[in-house]
Amino acid sequence: MDLKRLPWIFILLCTVLFSQTTVNDIRSFTLKNGMQFLVVEDHSIPNANMFIFWKVGSRNEVPGITGLSHFFEHMMFNGAEKYGPKEFDRVMEAAGGANNAYTSENVTVYTDFFPSSATELIFDLEADRIGHLALDDQMVESERGVVMSERTMYMENDPWTLLEEQVKGAAFLAHPYRWSVIGYESDIRNWTKQDLQTYFETYYAPNNGLAVMVGDVNLEELRSLAKKTIEPIPSGPAPRAVHTTEPEQLGEKRVIVHKAVSSPRLMIVYHVPETRHPDYYALEMLTEILSGGRSSRLYSSLVDSSQLAVEVRATMPMGFDPGLFYIQAVCKQDIEYLKTEAAIYGEIDRIVRDGVTDRELQKVKNQKLAAFYRRMETIDGKANTLGTYALFFGDYRKLSTAPEAYAQVTPGDIRRVAETYLKKTNRTVGIMLNTGEDS
Amino acid sequence: MKRGKFVRQFGWLLCLLSGFIRSEPFQCPPFERQVLPNGMVLILMEQHEVPLVSVSAVVKTGSVHDGEKHGLAFLTGQGLLLGTKNRCKIEIEESLDFIGAEYQVSVYKEETALSVSFMKTDEDLVLSLIADILMRPSFPADEFEKRKSRHLDELTNNKESPSRVIRAYFDQFMFGNHPYGNPVSGTEPDVGRITTDDVRAFYSKQYGPGNTVMAVAGDFKTDRIAKKIRHLFGEWKASGGPADAVPADIAEPEKPRVLFVNKSDAVETRFMIGGPGIPRNNPDYTGIQVINTILGGRFTSWLNDEMRINRGLTYGVRSYFSCFIRSGAFIISSFTPNATTEEALDVALEVYGRLHDQGPDEATLASARNYMSGQFPPRFETSEDLANLLTEMEVYGFDASFINDFQKQVSEIDTARAKKLIETYFPEDNFQIVVIGKGSEIRPLLDKYGSVTEKEITAHGF
Repeated sequence: MDLKRLPWIFILLCTVLFSQTTVNDIRSFTLKNGMQFLVVEDHSIPNANMFIFWKVGSRNEVPGITGLSHFFEHMMFNGAEKYGPKEFDRVMEAAGGANNAYTSENVTVYTDFFPSSATELIFDLEADRIGHLALDDQMVESERGVVMSERTMYMENDPWTLLEEQVKGAAFLAHPYRWSVIGYESDIRNWTKQDLQTYFETYYAPNNGLAVMVGDVNLEELRSLAKKTIEPIPSGPAPRAVHTTEPEQLGEKRVIVHKAVSSPRLMIVYHVPETRHPDYYALEMLTEILSGGRSSRLYSSLVDSSQLAVEVRATMPMGFDPGLFYIQAVCKQDIEYLKTEAAIYGEIDRIVRDGVTDRELQKVKNQKLAAFYRRMETIDGKANTLGTYALFFGDYRKLSTAPEAYAQVTPGDIRRVAETYLKKTNRTVGIMLNTGEDS
Repeated sequence: MKRGKFVRQFGWLLCLLSGFIRSEPFQCPPFERQVLPNGMVLILMEQHEVPLVSVSAVVKTGSVHDGEKHGLAFLTGQGLLLGTKNRCKIEIEESLDFIGAEYQVSVYKEETALSVSFMKTDEDLVLSLIADILMRPSFPADEFEKRKSRHLDELTNNKESPSRVIRAYFDQFMFGNHPYGNPVSGTEPDVGRITTDDVRAFYSKQYGPGNTVMAVAGDFKTDRIAKKIRHLFGEWKASGGPADAVPADIAEPEKPRVLFVNKSDAVETRFMIGGPGIPRNNPDYTGIQVINTILGGRFTSWLNDEMRINRGLTYGVRSYFSCFIRSGAFIISSFTPNATTEEALDVALEVYGRLHDQGPDEATLASARNYMSGQFPPRFETSEDLANLLTEMEVYGFDASFINDFQKQVSEIDTARAKKLIETYFPEDNFQIVVIGKGSEIRPLLDKYGSVTEKEITAHGF
């Protein structure tokens, strides 16, 4: 089965990227103001979406305005010239649409989900806020409360939030990835309307955005709607690049965080290159080898056989700049966390020493293929995948070479990236201990 | 495990069971329903958009059948994955992981669902594994003890995230000793004394073909897969099921009550305000969802508008009907920083009062009707969505008319109909309120909402 599957992946993915839709059916046009559109017509349901990716996230912030990208994302819903406060949501929902948005370290993404009958309205709503956002003092203040509640909600319900904030702050000395996306409480309380206005002018010019639309739409109609509504919005100067390069880490860093927890949590992070780096695919496959499924290295060893942890996971978020490779574990109760930590390093050392098997690598390739199909099953999954590839790999066409890139990764590559990046001097170890517990 | 990404709002559509459109609006895609000679129900729906297949195999049992040991149905369900008479746990895990399948067992009050999503080329392997897992689990003692021990940890760890446990407190408080009050995940003392003998006995009593519905949706050929499944499951002759129905008489609350759960390090208060709801097969289900959309089912809902947008009290508030086979609960759910606890509770109750005092006008209803219709199709876009829909129909006793008549039912909700639905289904008083928060800051203000019972969050159970 192993041998049969590989060519099948090639044939299937290279030609039939979007199952019924081929990669050649992805259409693209760019408005005169520089805003790019990617469009896939998909008539499987009478609905469509619009995902607008803005190249701004917490990496574009500076001390004093940490969290502003995320707060700004909230303010994009709070009133513009034609549609005043509350109108964006009211008008959209009354037409059968819904929306959401998210902010990460790298991007801010606005998502509209609507019956295709509302397509024209969606352009009108988006053009209004992109071209003519009107910041309202009262809305700024009530939204500050909302974001404070969002912050406390995560702090109260997800112990990882607190640990991650501290670990990132230690792992990065200089690069703005060091603060959390939601920002520090004191900054949330103190930024001003002027800070928001400056942010809008700097980062929300059409040339800094990418729109992706998938669903029951027609390319030519979209093009003419985009020309009518969004093209008149003037482009802006390119935002200043984030030029800070994180200095090389010179030794292991350890961070202890105390909170009322019944068993310790570990967050071990390693510096890794940006997503466009050639090692991306091998590292991404390494996360799967470590924790993809119950038969993965870390799960089968730590959670199952030795029972040192109840949860373990390796992840590597995409990023424009060099970022972090995360390994997280919740220790089993009454287990000394140092034992769990040592077992994690033991598994990494085993990969560095003995490599991985062909079968393991094939398993990850199979998992990647199935996961790809699951994303392609919905119009929203298609839009998000397209936009993500376009931004983080620089070109949506990279989607068509991704299968080949995964297929080319060898056991030797996995071993090499584990050895290169997952080493002691390159890591920061966060340990969450119960209040009052000695480290 | 979230990673540094902050979302504007939590999903609004999670709590609705809902509908579907393909090219012909509001028509359920064709499916075939068969009953095997041993009583197992098999439902097949072809979907060829991507080369994936989803199986949802549901045994009609869950925590309502726990009896004296809460967590028994849960551990039995999880125990299915620990090994069979033919395969050990590691073989099962390795086989399914290798082909990129996703699989899990989910246990609820009245159903235990084994769901598997896989690529179509692996149909034979996955079907034989599913048959093995459902028909021949071996519940090996060593694996069972490991799983149980991990679950005990999870029970403790969950208490550190109020959002994960508030619903168990609410159900216990609302339904008391009725089986609907049983916590699905069990309690520490009960889970601690569950043995493999208990689990085997539960399996023998509750699991069997006459109590099982299997739905398959995705890229396959109906005739061929039906033949394979009938062959694999035809030999299942277990004695279990159909399970005992839960008692239909559920006491209505007679007075407003508050359960306060003290979490002394809390930085926010989380609460649920609720009352009796409806069974899933209630003929007014869709109409009720239109009203709930206005109250707390979307971003511009009355509750979210007042609590989040006008006052900045919370990141989110929602209301929903949680529906079971014979009953259900109506719940308003939100959270707020400690200092604004009283204002948030007051405003939630005040806004809810508006539903009865004034009700929605025609413009608001029109907006909600459009929203319901417009957001309907994407909810059944994947094979997994469809397989779940098909098993839910069987378990909860509704049919494809839910989808085929959805548009019509939504369109019928005018102001008169809305008024009637509100009077009939939305509890007007005797609210049952659960509050988890920091006692030293919020305890004194709870008396005014009803008679208060207090628990420590660290105490066992709910």
